[in-house]
Amino acid sequence: MTLTRRTFPGFAALFSLPLAWVLLLMVVPYAIMVAVGFWTRQFPLFYPDFQFGNYAQILADPQYTTVILRTLKIAALVTVCALLLGYPLAYFLVFTIRSQKVRNLLYMSVIVPLWVSYLLRAYTWKIILGTDGALNSLLVSTGLVSAPLDIFLYNQTAMVVTLVYIFVPFMVMPLFTVLDNIPRRLLEASEDLGVGPFMTFWKVIFPLSLGGVVAGATMTFCLSFGDFVAPVLVGGPDGTMVANLLQTQFGAALNWPLGSALATLVLALVLILLQLSSRLDRAGRIDL
Amino acid sequence: MTSSPIVALDGVAKRYGAFVALHETDLAIAEGEFVTLLGPSGCGKTTTLRLIGGFEQASDGRIAIAGQDVTESPPYRRPVNTVFQDYALFPHMSVAENIGYGLSVRSGRLEKTERRRRVAEALALVGLEGMADRRPGALSGGQRQRVAMARAVVRRPRVLLLDEPLSALDVKLREGMQVELKRLHRELGITFLMVTHDQTEALALSDRIVVMREGRIAQIGSPTDLYDHPATPYVADFIGAANLLEAEALGREGDVCAFRLVNGATLRSRRREAAGATTGSRVTLGVRPERMMAARPETGAANALDCIVMERLFHGDCLRIELAPEGGGKPLFAELARTALPATVSAGSRLAVHIDPDDVMVFDAGGGK
Amino acid sequence: MSIVRRSAILALAAASLLPQALAARAAELNYLTWEGYAVDGFISKFEAASGCKVTASYVGSNDDFAAKLAAGGGVYDVITPSLDTVPMLRLAGFVAPIDTAKVEGFDGIYPEFSKESDVVADGETWAVPLIWGSVSLIYRPDKLAATPDSISVLFDPALKGKISLWDDKSALYWTARYLGYDNVFDLTDEQLEAVKAKLIEQKPLIRKYWASAGELTELMANQEVYVSNAWTGLTSKDVNNLKKGFEVVEFTPKEKAEGWMDSMMLVKDSPNEDCAYKFMSFMQSADGQCGLAEATGYFPVNPKAVQGCMSDALKKERQVDNVEFVKSLVMWQQPARLDKYLETWNAVKAAP
Repeated sequence: MTLTRRTFPGFAALFSLPLAWVLLLMVVPYAIMVAVGFWTRQFPLFYPDFQFGNYAQILADPQYTTVILRTLKIAALVTVCALLLGYPLAYFLVFTIRSQKVRNLLYMSVIVPLWVSYLLRAYTWKIILGTDGALNSLLVSTGLVSAPLDIFLYNQTAMVVTLVYIFVPFMVMPLFTVLDNIPRRLLEASEDLGVGPFMTFWKVIFPLSLGGVVAGATMTFCLSFGDFVAPVLVGGPDGTMVANLLQTQFGAALNWPLGSALATLVLALVLILLQLSSRLDRAGRIDL
Repeated sequence: MTSSPIVALDGVAKRYGAFVALHETDLAIAEGEFVTLLGPSGCGKTTTLRLIGGFEQASDGRIAIAGQDVTESPPYRRPVNTVFQDYALFPHMSVAENIGYGLSVRSGRLEKTERRRRVAEALALVGLEGMADRRPGALSGGQRQRVAMARAVVRRPRVLLLDEPLSALDVKLREGMQVELKRLHRELGITFLMVTHDQTEALALSDRIVVMREGRIAQIGSPTDLYDHPATPYVADFIGAANLLEAEALGREGDVCAFRLVNGATLRSRRREAAGATTGSRVTLGVRPERMMAARPETGAANALDCIVMERLFHGDCLRIELAPEGGGKPLFAELARTALPATVSAGSRLAVHIDPDDVMVFDAGGGK
Repeated sequence: MSIVRRSAILALAAASLLPQALAARAAELNYLTWEGYAVDGFISKFEAASGCKVTASYVGSNDDFAAKLAAGGGVYDVITPSLDTVPMLRLAGFVAPIDTAKVEGFDGIYPEFSKESDVVADGETWAVPLIWGSVSLIYRPDKLAATPDSISVLFDPALKGKISLWDDKSALYWTARYLGYDNVFDLTDEQLEAVKAKLIEQKPLIRKYWASAGELTELMANQEVYVSNAWTGLTSKDVNNLKKGFEVVEFTPKEKAEGWMDSMMLVKDSPNEDCAYKFMSFMQSADGQCGLAEATGYFPVNPKAVQGCMSDALKKERQVDNVEFVKSLVMWQQPARLDKYLETWNAVKAAP
């Protein structure tokens, strides 16, 4: 205790910059955002106030609840698909690839796309899924369909596909780490006790990887939940997500108070989710 | 071994590319035996155990357990269970769940009540009643070891494989667990096959010891056999300790053979294997430090070596003396009762050590390094 | 009240304003405009002649002007909103009145534009007309069974999934005209509800709402859509220039095309007022008017300026000295209840 006190000035000097950073660029902006959520708007301007009209409007007007529910649905779908794709991939990398070198190489190839611009990666899917796109060319040239289909692009499926592609590394990374940390001895022990590979997976590997599943799912969900590029690039007329709504309120609609109220709600939703996931993670935490 | 062995290796070998972990090996273990695979790291003992457990596939040869060829069987189809070196307890399960794990699956499916009874029985066997609901993370090293034991024996395997089971414990605990292991072996009546690099452990526990070296079996025998009649200088040095001396056979005088050491001194051996040494051949003599006795110099005691004391180390019950033979040669170690040596004998003093001809072991110079 | 207004916005924008204000130096012009309005050719001429360096940023719709000014006042010097947005920017206090004496060639502009009631207010001139044009419909003749002549083609179930529409409140104008309302810029609540219902009903037919001219060109070129509203002269030219093996054709529906006029406004407290006036003057010169008209395919507002730099055929095509053409269009005006229109359009986009 005394030691801590004696070193406090040094401690303060070391952490004052990041602290100021957090205060100035996180706490203050959030406080402003929450405050503006209570302001009044009189087109085209807005005035400081304290009233709940913006929140009332969000809850009363079905356009906002529709979009929030849609966003939750898309984020959940992306999370589930990313898990279904990412888990086998991480499992394959960790347990099937014997060579450390090959494993690291493949793992890097999962991560490397993150270095490519997000926009470029989303745009790629436009090229693949379009009416004149690569997928249709393939289908037509193999004779599977007679004319190009327009069912691939500009709808919610295209958004889910794009978002899964973009965010799957965030699922694979924690899963890879968690699976890689499971001692191989435990799998041997399970088989030694008469349990085959399938049940070994369900009774040993999967429970021990839950931390990675929770971490990956949380990241994927939050990232998809806040996305606004996929709806613009590959979404159709029914693709508007919460982030697009926010963009509109701060942009074209010029309604910052409503936008702030909406952003505050979204922030609360995400915080609740993070709280739940960290509780889930703590409950399942195990010393390996 | 008249009855058919419970474990039989027939020409089993394991290679990783060009590296040979285990050369072609035959081994038979009888039902109910406590057998230890002993050797330094890299000698192939763990590979042998893992081949029997099914965690490695043999490159050559056949493995049979309880009369069944299991060479190709996965671990979960073999009637053996393993106590792993680091215990490999499932961290997300309670002690009871760990122990009951192998009883809940197809191959060992039991009724719930029967399963519970068996788990309780196993807990009692290792003295962990009341710990059933703890997580492995909340147990001490010794307790984890017991859980690992209980988990392995609860399925009533024909053979229990133990991979360095005591190496993670501290010295005090290890000695207690040795007694425990011996008791378990007696009570369960099943075959134990243990891997260790600790010769004291092997000597204390085993019915038979398989000494291994560089992927081959160096010698198999009971602890006393190996101690009294090591087949090679390597085994002599590994089981207990031995001073190894280069010598030349001088010839026989009745039932005693004489050998000349490099410094010109003569040692005699009355052991059986000495009879095989032809005159003039080069041999290695082995003398255990604890079989050397202090003789007063210049008394002309029979079968003695004149030496200079280089170091005198106090070991509690005994003294450990480092000696340089007069006239040259490798230094020797002797273990003497602390009363056998006057306090005046210290570094620099002259000391003759006397060795009973029955204790001078003779190895063919060509027979292993 | 205006102090409260301004301080509220300034406080919010403080963080972004500060570095921008420091960076603002003399001899530069920050231009917030439409894509295609700041192409190299005539802009370089201006830079060489005036010594002002032009930095252009782009908007996707007229609603972006106010949003960008609200987010970072002090960043832009000259903006080019359409006529229907001019009053709003004046009322919001984002712009300063223009000293027309400082704009060379101002007198050459069609008085129909320079004296327009939204341009002149409170005895001051607030905008310098820049360019004008119309919004008509474009379609793929090879994909449509009959030659369309009406806005109804945008609502034709036979074209399900092949229709596009500008992502803008003007979607309401088109729909209102389709429904036969003539008070397009002052719809009643019931009429707005009907328009909204019609647009939501249309959603399954829509492939994608286009956000920029570039996106519409891409949608057409990649055969994603066969019909849309589009900037007259621009999109059809761009698509056909790509030579994709098909043609797109423009047509004016029987319910009339829409007309628009973009004008330059001076952002309030601009530190580069000098360059701003030089720029507005340049854009009324032969180089400015012909340069922009050539780059975009739109119509010049200053017939005097283009006398020497356009062929007679081009003059005819670009309606030079034919300001009467305006009367054949539904010229954009600021909707009486702009925020209600914006809300309605956003509700349409949010709908399932």
